[in-house]
Amino acid sequence: MIGVYRELEGSMRLAAHVLRRFWVLKLPPVAEEFVRQVWFTGASATAGIVVRGALVGTLIIAYVIEVLDADAALAVRILLWVVLREIGPLIAAVLVIQRSGTAVATELALMKISGELASLRQLRIDPLDYLAVPRVVGIALANTALTVYVQFIAVGGGMLLSALTIHVSFFEMAGSFFELASPLDLLYAVGKSLLFGAAIGVIACYYGLNPPGNSINAVPKAAISAVTQATLAVMLLNVVFAYLVYGSALFGLFTASQ
Amino acid sequence: MSTAPADGIALGYEPADDAPRREERIWIPAGGCHVVPAVSAALKAALLSAVLDFRPRRDARVVVLGAELEALDARARAAVRAQVAFLPAGGGLISHLNAWENIALPLSYHAPRQMQGVAPRVYALLEPFAGDVRALLAKLPEELSPFEKMLAGYARMMLGAPRLVLAEAPPRSLGPAERRQADEFGAAYLARCPQGTFVRLEDGHDEAGEAG
Repeated sequence: MIGVYRELEGSMRLAAHVLRRFWVLKLPPVAEEFVRQVWFTGASATAGIVVRGALVGTLIIAYVIEVLDADAALAVRILLWVVLREIGPLIAAVLVIQRSGTAVATELALMKISGELASLRQLRIDPLDYLAVPRVVGIALANTALTVYVQFIAVGGGMLLSALTIHVSFFEMAGSFFELASPLDLLYAVGKSLLFGAAIGVIACYYGLNPPGNSINAVPKAAISAVTQATLAVMLLNVVFAYLVYGSALFGLFTASQ
Repeated sequence: MSTAPADGIALGYEPADDAPRREERIWIPAGGCHVVPAVSAALKAALLSAVLDFRPRRDARVVVLGAELEALDARARAAVRAQVAFLPAGGGLISHLNAWENIALPLSYHAPRQMQGVAPRVYALLEPFAGDVRALLAKLPEELSPFEKMLAGYARMMLGAPRLVLAEAPPRSLGPAERRQADEFGAAYLARCPQGTFVRLEDGHDEAGEAG
């Protein structure tokens, strides 16, 4: 219990440090770290998402139209609710946890046990400023961009593949989509993704900077802790968002009116 | 503990009266190149922690560049610390940056405006010691030999023009020729910073018989 409290407190302190020292991003070496992180988390992850995103969109449309025998308008409405608000941010977050969460935790833990963090301190460079701030901000922004990309691919690709595979008009679905979609949906997803990304970044950095020991065995342990805790944090944040937006959480167990 | 004046002292470390015997007194005058022989791992750790991290052992007296660290406030300590550099045996390089990025890191972090014209200075620093400087600068630390790592650390240290350099002895894995070159770092530093002090900490053995 004390360990959980310590980890939570450490993560909160790290998040506060990132917010307080945001300005270090203007320093050239920190900016370079930031760009590297955005590239790794965002740009280099896009290729793997295309097929997955398009298949998710197709699956939802096909399921609603073929199995539930609904019309295109309802299929698009469900696509909008599920992909834009929920699945899009979650797919991006899971992908970022799998790739960047493990990479950041492993890299930082290795740097810690090989004495590189001490080397940075000897150069009068705060490892939190140089390593944590650009990674947390980079992951938050890249996760948001990735979410928008997933949504675009899942909605657009889903409608396109559905038009090719089942008897439904692409233009009919596109028309319904633009009629039903609201900028608030995108704003909601962007806000959620920013928070998901920041949480993933903070947790990965925290466990990477605080590996459970000084031997090489501590590195995979740090990575495992980062992945499990980041996944848990994303799920919890999703519940909080659902509660705030829909007024109920955990299938109505908690409701806003209570 | 003595009350010897700190004036003219580049580096002074006096352990507390009840400190283990392994912690000997170090008292080095300003200027020149000095070798502190047989420094135990414990003393080195205590010294570096006191000088670089401002975490002296209880009751230890630490003098850096003529100033008693204990008597300084945080700002003055930071000002003194900015004039001290440490040259580890392994270079202290960051693994995901290549040699050039490692060398430029502290300057681009603390004084980005001074980065202009830094490349010729780095070449001038490395050319007496390395054949193909361009190839060396492009390598990641894992691709560098132990001597090249130390060389990159040396160039990085020199760009900061510190007044006091604490250097570890070159790694034992170096060949005789490379070791001779590494021994010249002190002289090369003094040639460029005549007012500075170069202190090399030679490894000793701990009382328990462990290599220092």
